[in-house]
Amino acid sequence: MKESGYIWGLGTIFFAIVSVVYGVWSKDWAGTTALAFTGFMTALVAFYSLYTAKRLDNRPEDDQLAGQDEADPDYGFFSPHSWWPLPLGFSAMLIALGLIFATWLMLVGIIFLMLSTIGLVFEYYRRDFAH
Amino acid sequence: MTTRLAPAGHVDRPNNVAIGTIIWLASELMFFAALFAMYFTLRSVNPEIWAVDTSLLNVPFATVNTTILVLSSVTCQMGVFAAERGDVKNLRKWFIITFIMGAIFIGGQVTEYTELVHEGLTMSSSPYGSVFYLTTGFHGLHVTGGLIAFLFVLARTYVAKRFTHEQATSAIVVSYYWHFVDVVWIALFATIYLVK
Repeated sequence: MKESGYIWGLGTIFFAIVSVVYGVWSKDWAGTTALAFTGFMTALVAFYSLYTAKRLDNRPEDDQLAGQDEADPDYGFFSPHSWWPLPLGFSAMLIALGLIFATWLMLVGIIFLMLSTIGLVFEYYRRDFAH
Repeated sequence: MTTRLAPAGHVDRPNNVAIGTIIWLASELMFFAALFAMYFTLRSVNPEIWAVDTSLLNVPFATVNTTILVLSSVTCQMGVFAAERGDVKNLRKWFIITFIMGAIFIGGQVTEYTELVHEGLTMSSSPYGSVFYLTTGFHGLHVTGGLIAFLFVLARTYVAKRFTHEQATSAIVVSYYWHFVDVVWIALFATIYLVK
């Protein structure tokens, strides 16, 4: 974890230098902003990695004496199958069409989007699957 | 620090949901990079428009609004600390407070838009109007999305019989998002209202 953080940190240093050099030389605002923000992006991941490394024990892959079974942890909960992404995509389509053709269609799309998001978020909190 | 629970599940592996959220936020950062790049580019080619239009901004009002949003990050973090202790009552309390503060921010922004439109600054009135509404508007949409996420986290704590690790994880990743949106706003505020 720590090593990953340092590698991302190197990216931050690189983009900080490059965006200053590029900005001074080219006076191009768009490119300079993009380079600076790429630096912020690497800083975000570096910060998260280092912060998490501090809170957790070594991962098995960082431990010379780790056994095979230790790399087989609980990965969390994954939905085996779900219909909800379909109405979600349909709502996104309605909103996009609404932007082109008519505002009322967009409003209908937003209502469908809310409903299908609720369906997705609470799928495993209701009825048969409730936990 | 050391006695706190890890975000979820296993202790010696970072939480997948948290990692996914961070990666997604990194891509969101690049989305806002495009908005900032647009702002700076138009500003560098239209300095005379900026000189006129930025005088319409109500900086003291926006400062108060910004303060509310920044403080809401603090209350959000208090909620996360409660979630990590498994203290669902306090999680609810702090998240409701955060929700109200975020809603006040959005209300303030709508008020500000109304005033600016009355003063003649609209999306199509000038390049400044376009980038002002696009940058702050997209940020406002993100805040609104965060408010909806707070409602979902709260609703999940009420629907489920007991407070699970999974719900704590939801609360934590929503807080990541909220802090992210907050930091982006600080950058936007500094760019639009302070630097002008």
